[in-house]
Amino acid sequence: MSSYVILVPLLPLLAAIVIGVAGCRLRERSAKAGVLPIITAFLGAVVTLVLVSSQGPISVRFYEPGSVANLALPMGFYIDRLSAVMMVLITVVSTIIYIYSVGYMYQDRGHSRFLALLAFTTFVLLCMVSSANLVMLFVFWQLLSWLLYLLAHNHTRPATLDGAFKTFTLLRVGDVAFLAGIVLAHALYGTIEFQELFARAAATPVILSLGPGSGLEISGVTAVTLLIFIGAMSKSAQFPIHIWLPKSLYAPTPVHALLHAGIINAGGFLLNRLAPLYGLSPTTLHVVFVIGALTAFLGACMMLTQNDIKKTLGYSTIGQMGYMIMECGLGAFALAVFHLIAHGLFKATVFLNCGHVIHAARQEPKFPYKDQAAARGEFSRLTWLTGFIATLVLPLIILLAAHGVLRIPLRDSQGAVIFLFFSWVTSSQAILTLTRLRAVAFWKVAVAMLLTLLLVILTYLLAAESFTYFLYPAPDEVASYFQAAALPAWLFDFLVVATTLLIILGWFLIYARAHVQTIRIPGWVEALRARLYVLFINRLYVDMVYLKLGQGLMRVAHRLDKRDVGWLP
Amino acid sequence: MAAVIETWTDPLLMLVVTPFLGAAPGLLLWSKPRMLKVWVLLVTLASLVMLMGVSGRITGLAAGIPFLFLLPVAAFLSLLGQPAQHEGRVAWLMTLILLGLGLGILISQNGLKLILLLNVLGLVSLLIGRYKKLSGPQLWWAIGTYSLGVVCLMGSLIATPPVTSIALLLTYSVLLPLFPFHGGYVGALVGLPGNLPAFLALLLPSIGFHGVLTLIPSMPGGIVQTLVILALLGALYGSLKALAQNRVVSLLAYAGVAFFAILWWYLATTKSYSPQAVIYLSAVALVTCGLLLAWLAVQARYGDVDLRAISGLAHSMPRFATLLSLLALAAMGLPPFGVFSGFMGMLLTPSLPLSGALLIIVVAWLAASWYFLNLMQQLLFGRHRRDLRHEDLRQTEFASLLMLVLILLALGIVPSRFFESGTPSHGYSTAMESTLWHK
Repeated sequence: MSSYVILVPLLPLLAAIVIGVAGCRLRERSAKAGVLPIITAFLGAVVTLVLVSSQGPISVRFYEPGSVANLALPMGFYIDRLSAVMMVLITVVSTIIYIYSVGYMYQDRGHSRFLALLAFTTFVLLCMVSSANLVMLFVFWQLLSWLLYLLAHNHTRPATLDGAFKTFTLLRVGDVAFLAGIVLAHALYGTIEFQELFARAAATPVILSLGPGSGLEISGVTAVTLLIFIGAMSKSAQFPIHIWLPKSLYAPTPVHALLHAGIINAGGFLLNRLAPLYGLSPTTLHVVFVIGALTAFLGACMMLTQNDIKKTLGYSTIGQMGYMIMECGLGAFALAVFHLIAHGLFKATVFLNCGHVIHAARQEPKFPYKDQAAARGEFSRLTWLTGFIATLVLPLIILLAAHGVLRIPLRDSQGAVIFLFFSWVTSSQAILTLTRLRAVAFWKVAVAMLLTLLLVILTYLLAAESFTYFLYPAPDEVASYFQAAALPAWLFDFLVVATTLLIILGWFLIYARAHVQTIRIPGWVEALRARLYVLFINRLYVDMVYLKLGQGLMRVAHRLDKRDVGWLP
Repeated sequence: MAAVIETWTDPLLMLVVTPFLGAAPGLLLWSKPRMLKVWVLLVTLASLVMLMGVSGRITGLAAGIPFLFLLPVAAFLSLLGQPAQHEGRVAWLMTLILLGLGLGILISQNGLKLILLLNVLGLVSLLIGRYKKLSGPQLWWAIGTYSLGVVCLMGSLIATPPVTSIALLLTYSVLLPLFPFHGGYVGALVGLPGNLPAFLALLLPSIGFHGVLTLIPSMPGGIVQTLVILALLGALYGSLKALAQNRVVSLLAYAGVAFFAILWWYLATTKSYSPQAVIYLSAVALVTCGLLLAWLAVQARYGDVDLRAISGLAHSMPRFATLLSLLALAAMGLPPFGVFSGFMGMLLTPSLPLSGALLIIVVAWLAASWYFLNLMQQLLFGRHRRDLRHEDLRQTEFASLLMLVLILLALGIVPSRFFESGTPSHGYSTAMESTLWHK
């Protein structure tokens, strides 16, 4: 019975073949015919989730790990709870996007090809998350790079070709690093099977010399995880290899939805799949944390300077992916999965809706609606008091209650603090956004704030308790990840205090602005703000750096080509 | 009488003679290109059938029997898509002759093998000199490299070990291109007409690889170290040169230099045979063959133009676009094609030691994504040229490219045991003694 789960990825493949082969002739009918296999795949994924939850992981291998007569590509499926959850997410997002696309892309010339590629991408994503070993995961990982190149750019527009080229090249950088990680892992531990790799890496610590006589050494597991992390960085658009994501603006709206809700989560999934390996290397986890934090910060800053709805959403995704990677770096792997699911569903909805907004805006001859004039002068003490209580007072009470009454040892447990802290940051973010709502009754806004707080707390409780337990049933395993990722106490405290101060400062500024009060800001701060604005609107000039690097390499190549005529062919 | 029958049914004789005998009546059809083309196709098919018939009796082939089948298949496919025009006739007949010589070299031993090899080197350099498609220095480099191969080959006949082995290794490094002896390979691909470059893209490296396999295990350490260094230099040099090319054939030739440098690195590092190396060689050679054929199709329509002169073919030639993108996918080392499988298999060989050289290898691998993507993007996407008359692939062109893609796919997914050597007693160790994926 359990072998039938492989039908889940095969059904979208079937849809892709049917649409790809018969699409030109049947057109509308073939597009609709594709809906059924994709919906069935979704139902199959749900059944798989139930099966895996009750009976444990399902393993189907078409090769014998101990035989030389295996297939050149070792195909097999290993579906545990993580894979099953991802399969449900992928199929639900794909189903929605596919159905949406049938209507949305109806008049497009490449309608059938587009739908076939969409179904094929679903197949690739499903195979990737259910791979039985590192090589199979890498196979589908690379195919995803190629599909991103095909889907995320409009190749009929010469202007987007440059973006498409950069996307694929950057993704290949990640692929090559991932490949090096696999080769190193195989050389050090002699296997590509996940469970055995984890067991051998834990049992046999290896130290690698970074150069003969240099005295520099690195742990084997750190080297492997760092290389694989570069692969995750490229797919999840982490700084500084994030620039491909905003360059895919000309793709059709459904592609954006799939890209931002599904494909980009590949990095988070990879880190989760290899969590036992990452848990063995505190150094890598710290690097992951730094990269994630940097991406979250810079992504958010760049988002604020955008004036295009799709670009804004694109940078928002980069920021969110930064959060997700940062959570992995803190050892909260389950939280990262929870985050990517929530973000995936939310972003897919936003992107599908944004297509309509853009379409409507193109039809609308008027100027964009301005709300500043209407909003000015309206101030509600009720709203602000509720916001203040919900973001600053209640969380403090919860913190004290957790520490004193429930006796959760917050000082010794960075993991618990991380969960509490993230729930606080999320609720604060949501509540601060609600202060902009002025067109509705103030008591409604206040209630919405309290409900938001309640919802966020409940959600995080669910993520911290049930979902973490669901994905990682062994509490010791979860604790070991947090322990491995633990930052030095002074740094952790500094980060918590700094972020707390930033949120309070944010409150202060918004409150003052809403009160129409003038805040005296020193001249140098204003100048710095202007410079930062220029810096962020130009995306920190990272694109320019890549351009110069590429041009430099081509110059070297051309010089070599010209110079060696006469002495070397 | 029995002795005569036995002589005439000797696999070597049958395989060498069939294409030669086929080439002779071809001269009678010289003025009828269409019929000549059909005839040479039939002869290559007959060679293939003959090979199937005698394959059970072939022994001592270092790289496995399936490897041998690729030669007549490549000859057939390179001929199939050719337009039936007068210009192609010499190339078609030369394909038959080279096919016979190639099959002979792969299955013969010692003296005869060297004589046949001498013929291949001489014939290719003669053709390059005859057609003079290369610029001055390139032409002399190509002919000079083949001459070096000939001299080394002659030298190996009179020298004593280990000089014999080193001389032979130099000859094989001309065929399986190794920096700085790659001029012959580049010259053959750039300087020959019709389908010959596409066929030689498989034939020359196959002969070279087959020879290197038998020599490398007995090479002294110093020579092997030199080979590793030359291979790494070749990987970087080939990649940089390929990046700078605007001519498709030159790009493919230098890409071949970079890809085969990876194979040289692997062979010199492990000093052993593995089926993955055979898969890699076959796939790289076939993908080069396929891309050359695809370019021939473009050339037949628009002339020998610069890569930047044509764009937007995906719009007007959808069948061509599909097959070219699949070939580019294979060339960039993406799954599920043979280049990827062979490369992964080589890197995961248990006997491959870890070293900094791996960094250069993956950089060369990465560079391939750059220049092959550029090639594909330039041709298929971008501005559609409405001022040109477009015609998608004809049936024969489509069939030959499609079959090449399918073979590349098969190389990617077929169990590696098919390419295991039939001669474990050759003196070289078998790296696949332990498990591949699971040491």
